[in-house]
Amino acid sequence: MYVIEKIERGRGLAKILIGVVSGIITGTGMGGGTILIALLTITQGIEQHIAQATNLVFFVPTSIVAIIMNIKNKNVDLKLASIISFFGIIGAVIGASIAMKVDVRMLKKLFGYFLALIGINEIYTIIKEYINSKKMEQ
Amino acid sequence: MIKRDLIKKIILGISAGFVSGLFATGGGMILVPAFIYLLKMEDKKSRGTSLVCILVMVVTSGFFYYRNDYIDWNTGILCAVGGIVGGFLGAKFLKKVSEKILKIMFLSFLIYVSYKMITS
Repeated sequence: MYVIEKIERGRGLAKILIGVVSGIITGTGMGGGTILIALLTITQGIEQHIAQATNLVFFVPTSIVAIIMNIKNKNVDLKLASIISFFGIIGAVIGASIAMKVDVRMLKKLFGYFLALIGINEIYTIIKEYINSKKMEQ
Repeated sequence: MIKRDLIKKIILGISAGFVSGLFATGGGMILVPAFIYLLKMEDKKSRGTSLVCILVMVVTSGFFYYRNDYIDWNTGILCAVGGIVGGFLGAKFLKKVSEKILKIMFLSFLIYVSYKMITS
């Protein structure tokens, strides 16, 4: 019993740490959610659907604080937000319905391609920034 | 002109929502750059506005994941606790230099994970 408890506690700590790392990444605007899902599936062996659902739970409390701050600082365009959100709901219903139908292996593969796409885009941005900074120097 | 702007917003909303629903992440990575480059909004306002949109999409997708019994509350809450701490730490102590290092680390990890997932 003691050993099981200890392992469970260790797992809990690992999950909190994964949250901390994801929270830091979120602050840089690079997408803490992708890191959270990837870390949960790879280090904790959590099933892809469940890992993705965990990110949904993770997002709500962490974002609400940021949203309140942003509304206070007038950094929210509410008219645009309502248009995007309206069509976003339609998209989310379609996307989530597909995710529910797709089996784990397939979803994992799709997620892998999605991550690769983000990676390529990030590299492209870094190179572009580098070239721009070189131009500024001249 | 107004019409074309609306079409842009409709496509943007649907695609960000679709990704949010399918992968439960990534909506912000579509919305923030799109707001900045397509709609010519400033950086801060783009981030703030995208957060509100994503929250709506997350709640919508969450309903589906919940109904199919995919939500592990224990893991979710533990991660969220860590996330709040991490968000605070990041906002307080992150400097430009360390952000660059973090970006490279993030990127390397991303490439590693995507390779592992595609070949799994």
